[in-house]
Amino acid sequence: MNCQSHQYRGQDPGTLTRRWFLKDCGLKIGTLALTQLLRAGGATAAPPALGQVTDPLAPRQPHFRPKAKRVIYLFMAGAPSHLELFDSKPELVLRNGKLPPAELLKGYRAAFIDPNSALLGGKFKFARHGQSGAELSELLPHLATVADDLTILKAMHTDAFNHAPAQILMNSGATQFGRPSMGSWVTYGLGSEANDLPAFVVFNTGPNGTSGGSSNWGCGFLPTVYQGVPFFNTGEPVLFLSNPRGFDAEAQRDSLEAIADLNRKRLGIVGDPEIATRLSTFEMAHRMQTSAPELVDISREPRSVLEMYGAEPGKASFAASCLLARRLVERGVRFVQIFHEAWDQHANLVENIKKNCLDTDKASAALVRDLKQRGLLDDTIVVWGGEFGRTPMVQGGDNGRDHHPNCFTIWLAGGGFKSGISFGESDDFGFNGTRDRVHVHDLHATMLHLLGFDHERLTYRFQGREFRLTDVHGQVVDKILA
Amino acid sequence: MTHSSSRFFVLLAREEDLPRTGRLAASLRLAPRGARRLRAPPAPMLGGRWRGCPNPGRTEYAVPLRAWLATSLALTCLLSAATPAQAAPPPSKQHWAFEAPRRPPAPEVGRADWLRHDMDRFIYSRLEKESLEPASEADRATLLRRLSLDLVGLPPTLAELDAFIQDASVDAYDKQVERLLASPHHGERWGRHWLDAARYADSNGYEKDLAREMWHWRDWVIDALNRDLPYDQFLVEQLAGDLLPNARQDQVVATGFLRNSMINEEGAIDPEQFRMESMFDRMDCLGKSILGLTIQCAQCHNHKYDPLSQEEYYRLFAFINNDDEHQAAFYTPEELREREAVLHGVREAEDEIRRIHPDWRERMDRWVKEENRAQPAWTILEPHEHGDPGGLSKLQLQPNGSLLAGGHRFTNGTWRIRARTRLEGIRAVRLEVFTHASLPLNGPGRSHQGLFGLKELRLEVASVVDGTKKSDVAFADATSDFAEPLKTVGSDGDEKSRRSHGPVKLAVDGDDRTSWTIDAGPGRRNTDHNAVFIAREPFGFAGGAELTFQLAMGDEIGCFRLSVTTEPGAAADPLPRLAREAMRVAPELRSVTGSAALFSYWRTTVPEFASFNQHIDEIGRRHPDPLARTLVLSWRSERRPTRLLKRGDWLQPGEAVEPGVPSFLHSWPQELDRTRLGLARWITDRRAPTTARVIVNRVWQSYFGTGIVSTPEDFGFQVDPPSHPELLDWLACELMEPQIQINLEKKPQAWSLKHLHRLIVHSATYRQSSHFKPVHLERDPQNRLLARGPRLRVEGEIVRDLALAVSGLLEPRIGGPPVYAPAPEFLFRPPASFGAFPWKEATGPERYRRAFYTFRRRSTPYPVLLSFDAPSGDTACVRRSRSNTPLQALATLNETVFVESARALARRMLVEGGPDDASRLSWAFRCATGREPDALETLRLLDLVRKQRNRLADGWLNAAELGTGSNLVPMDLLPGATPVDLAAYTVAARVILNLDETITKG
Repeated sequence: MNCQSHQYRGQDPGTLTRRWFLKDCGLKIGTLALTQLLRAGGATAAPPALGQVTDPLAPRQPHFRPKAKRVIYLFMAGAPSHLELFDSKPELVLRNGKLPPAELLKGYRAAFIDPNSALLGGKFKFARHGQSGAELSELLPHLATVADDLTILKAMHTDAFNHAPAQILMNSGATQFGRPSMGSWVTYGLGSEANDLPAFVVFNTGPNGTSGGSSNWGCGFLPTVYQGVPFFNTGEPVLFLSNPRGFDAEAQRDSLEAIADLNRKRLGIVGDPEIATRLSTFEMAHRMQTSAPELVDISREPRSVLEMYGAEPGKASFAASCLLARRLVERGVRFVQIFHEAWDQHANLVENIKKNCLDTDKASAALVRDLKQRGLLDDTIVVWGGEFGRTPMVQGGDNGRDHHPNCFTIWLAGGGFKSGISFGESDDFGFNGTRDRVHVHDLHATMLHLLGFDHERLTYRFQGREFRLTDVHGQVVDKILA
Repeated sequence: MTHSSSRFFVLLAREEDLPRTGRLAASLRLAPRGARRLRAPPAPMLGGRWRGCPNPGRTEYAVPLRAWLATSLALTCLLSAATPAQAAPPPSKQHWAFEAPRRPPAPEVGRADWLRHDMDRFIYSRLEKESLEPASEADRATLLRRLSLDLVGLPPTLAELDAFIQDASVDAYDKQVERLLASPHHGERWGRHWLDAARYADSNGYEKDLAREMWHWRDWVIDALNRDLPYDQFLVEQLAGDLLPNARQDQVVATGFLRNSMINEEGAIDPEQFRMESMFDRMDCLGKSILGLTIQCAQCHNHKYDPLSQEEYYRLFAFINNDDEHQAAFYTPEELREREAVLHGVREAEDEIRRIHPDWRERMDRWVKEENRAQPAWTILEPHEHGDPGGLSKLQLQPNGSLLAGGHRFTNGTWRIRARTRLEGIRAVRLEVFTHASLPLNGPGRSHQGLFGLKELRLEVASVVDGTKKSDVAFADATSDFAEPLKTVGSDGDEKSRRSHGPVKLAVDGDDRTSWTIDAGPGRRNTDHNAVFIAREPFGFAGGAELTFQLAMGDEIGCFRLSVTTEPGAAADPLPRLAREAMRVAPELRSVTGSAALFSYWRTTVPEFASFNQHIDEIGRRHPDPLARTLVLSWRSERRPTRLLKRGDWLQPGEAVEPGVPSFLHSWPQELDRTRLGLARWITDRRAPTTARVIVNRVWQSYFGTGIVSTPEDFGFQVDPPSHPELLDWLACELMEPQIQINLEKKPQAWSLKHLHRLIVHSATYRQSSHFKPVHLERDPQNRLLARGPRLRVEGEIVRDLALAVSGLLEPRIGGPPVYAPAPEFLFRPPASFGAFPWKEATGPERYRRAFYTFRRRSTPYPVLLSFDAPSGDTACVRRSRSNTPLQALATLNETVFVESARALARRMLVEGGPDDASRLSWAFRCATGREPDALETLRLLDLVRKQRNRLADGWLNAAELGTGSNLVPMDLLPGATPVDLAAYTVAARVILNLDETITKG
């Protein structure tokens, strides 16, 4: 044992060491660096110019006063059929089995099928709901109950008709990989209000993983801090969150205190502010070891809430993730994205889309209702949608549809969108939008607008030019703003 | 610069990583006028005067002095106060980076005693101007650790540290530099940077993201850097090694550089669309990694800032748009020798025939005349519909009427081909299968060996005039130029499981469990074949017939063509295509290869050559059968036209363009061919303005954290002024035309990267202490001016390698297939992964290979490396973030490999660390950080250990679990050591491995 240790015999070693380190040795916490830095900051920072807030995740004000502060994006990967869910087409039903009009197919490429394939009528009944009279399929009984809170975009269109490029486009504004995802752009622009949680959280809940993989929530050329962090709702909520086997909470705390003390001492000698940052990231990691398990533990949610979502504690599901999304945004998380890859109905359309709706309809509606009840819907954007739509032409026998980029439906809620409207119309076949078409870039521009950004000015300089989510496109769709 | 607060993530941000701020605009004003004027007009891409997001003009939204200032750890820091160098170009069309670098004279400076060579003069002269003093030299332990981390990416061992510290000779440092430069780990360390730039990965990307074999290219990089292949040659071989005269296998393997693009195998994709996507990716990679130019803007329109037109983009594109995407066999050195022996043996034996039978020429000519007579006339069908009926896979029609498969690969699928013919009385159908460079090993199939199995060929014939008139064609017989002998697998008793393959008749026997296969063995299996199917009754319709073929396959046919004939007696042509083509022309007009092919076939027809033929056959059987594959480029003899694509859309081709280079760069030397090789020569021309600057800048960035040009991917008009413009040019010139001699008796070779490393690590600049002084934080927090040595957290791979090296677990083997390092298995299953991916976690020594070898799956980036800023390989990356986040802390604290390293280090402490707690802790601390802990630090660790011992004794902690991760009491400890020791040291070792100092190059 060390020569000085006799002085402290019989005392608790933990307090002993810390006290000794801090006082008896005359070491202050990174004294030199801290005073230097604080002075440097303080001298010019009263109040600090925006430019000086250089914590990359410090909350930042956008270009103008925002309507929305956060986003929950329910990404229905695989591309749900608008013709079975949102876009009722009696004419298509009448023409079931007949070939589509030739002029419709001019210049049209389909992924799998010969475009000149028979038309397939929608498989389900539609009815109008709410005061707004939104037309929804019988597959969405729960969504129907919040119809007046929705903004349904029925003439969305996109550029890509293969899954991976289309998902990447929907999430990053480009079909090529390597661009930052929307969640990372938003976090880059607004920073985070969560103290012990990541700013951008991702769930995967479908029977499959997404075609676009982790690039769907990647940060591209933006700094790594802006990438989405996958959460898991069984096992460890975040990778490597649990202490190694054999380490109890106290051993972990002892270890972290020792690391902090030694790092602090080094900071005093070396003076590198990076060490101070590391001290704080280790502290945050430690806090998160408590906060993340608490967050994902939904067992203490009231029974009524669990039932409203259809979530079961301890069971990973889309429903549980929706509930967690609400809990996350309550704790200041900026962007939550739930990927439910299940909607690629080339075949078994009827059976699989029914199942998908059973898995998602109740929880999606519950999320809207829950946010509204808690007063969060007004400044939270909820998005529900996939990467493209499905063909009105049949694929296979009579129970499947191919990929279709020209026209599809998504819905939005809250966050400054005009509620209770259906926006956009398609032709008799749901093939092309005929009125109020909204491109992916327009959706992005509009969402950024509600978050307080001029989408042309939320930029990041890379490779000698300013990049942005909307690339060189995008129009804010004023008509859907509240 | 930066920061910290109670935010979740914090990083040491570079200026350019942060939303642009008013302050930055202020610092820009310090730049000379010309520098700003050169920026292209802002609208619409630029956010007004301020390039970032929040609006500086709207002060009412200014962030208030936040709580973060109140926390004890809160730090703010001025943005870079170091003003950019006064290096702006004159306000003209000229731009410094577009002129070839010229060697500037090294400036005269005051402190001659500080300088070690000319490089330091540039640094010192700038410091002088700023009234900054360089720091003193770091101590030897720090220096050797820095040097080891920089040159090989591993920490020095204690023996290496001791040897250096005790070495009193004048060249002690030089010896360390040379030792490390000669280490085979040098190629791994610096290869990693190149792999980032080359977007290397071990999987294809996109939805399927299947594994690819690309590691031979990766190993080529290690080897090239280790043998100090000059950088110009390094580039030439990667861009065009296949086009070098008598290209060796390794030079062809090098062309995998451009092939690192992702490959989309999603169902129903159009292969041409995604070939174009990978071409765009290659252009982007060429621009970022080699040219330092952002050329990809010009894919859709003329470059907004640099003088690059869209047409010039496509002219450059045309150089690299003439290849097939080839998957080659990779021969080991031994296999290469065996293969050479076979080829040589066959040549010798054939020469022997010619020597013994001098009349061979006349005899062959007579045979040719006879053979030429009896060939039926075939009509090649022109398909109007083709592909697999489900639409998953597509075929592309080739100019010779053949169909080529690409994109999604399947087994047990069907090609359906529809074609019309006016012929009536059709008696036979011919199926030709062709090799093609875009198929595995050239095909003709798409299996790993380039093979296929044709289960059944079905044909329906319908009248064009009256669609109701249709029937299935029955085939009476079938012949082929080659088929495997009949082989049946599966149990005799179970009819259902039985499969037969071999003779071509199996393709018309009405049974999908039998197929025609063509494996002729190694060295001979990847050739063209043909089969002829004789109809039972002649078929066809007056007014035209629609023929619908269905080719049911096991492994897919990759390239094929269908023809019909009305002539009777047709049979498969036994002659190889080359031989058949050769015999159709007069002997004096035959090509060398054609003549050789003709002879090789003819000799097999001559009975008296039987013993020769048998001998040659035996030689051929010795051909090696390599299992390994690698992706390379294969130059097309018939040039693929390149067209300007309107708005970069592959469906909107415009004017055809010829290969050419941008006019703002150096001119094209007339003597060069306009091929990829010509392009590579042009890029490595001494007059190339950016090639050398770009690489020296990236090497600089790796040593010092930021490049002399802070945007290594962009040297165009938008570039910020370099911190040391003359130094950049001096280094570039010194790379191309070395004049300084360090450590070597002979003059360094041109373009030697090791010379560049020597220059940097020998400098006084590099050897400075990295400790911060207040003046550094005030004046130059990013250390652009280098008034102190670099202090940087090491890259993600090295964070992990450090833990493995310090704990003694590291398996240092160089090269080989990628390693499935420990990772949570569920990440590779849905819903975390699109499809299930077989991640067979490595056990044994492989588990502890360097992170360099960890399998890189694009859609599932290895989590620890991802959190430490490693790129995914989707696109080229020449500058990583260097973040500092809680997820990193969680990884180094809790991730499997780090925890196993802590436990292993604890064991090493017991064995090697000395007699007691204090010496063992001190030993481990020194292994990790390179220095002895001081008394306070030792005491702190001792207290930690003491407390753990108490808690272990009191039963709060379980020694076995803590020390081994299992319930099994460790039995193999040294005498005197207890499980409690191991457990307590595990806690301490984990602390030591998690210190900032451990993962930092100090």
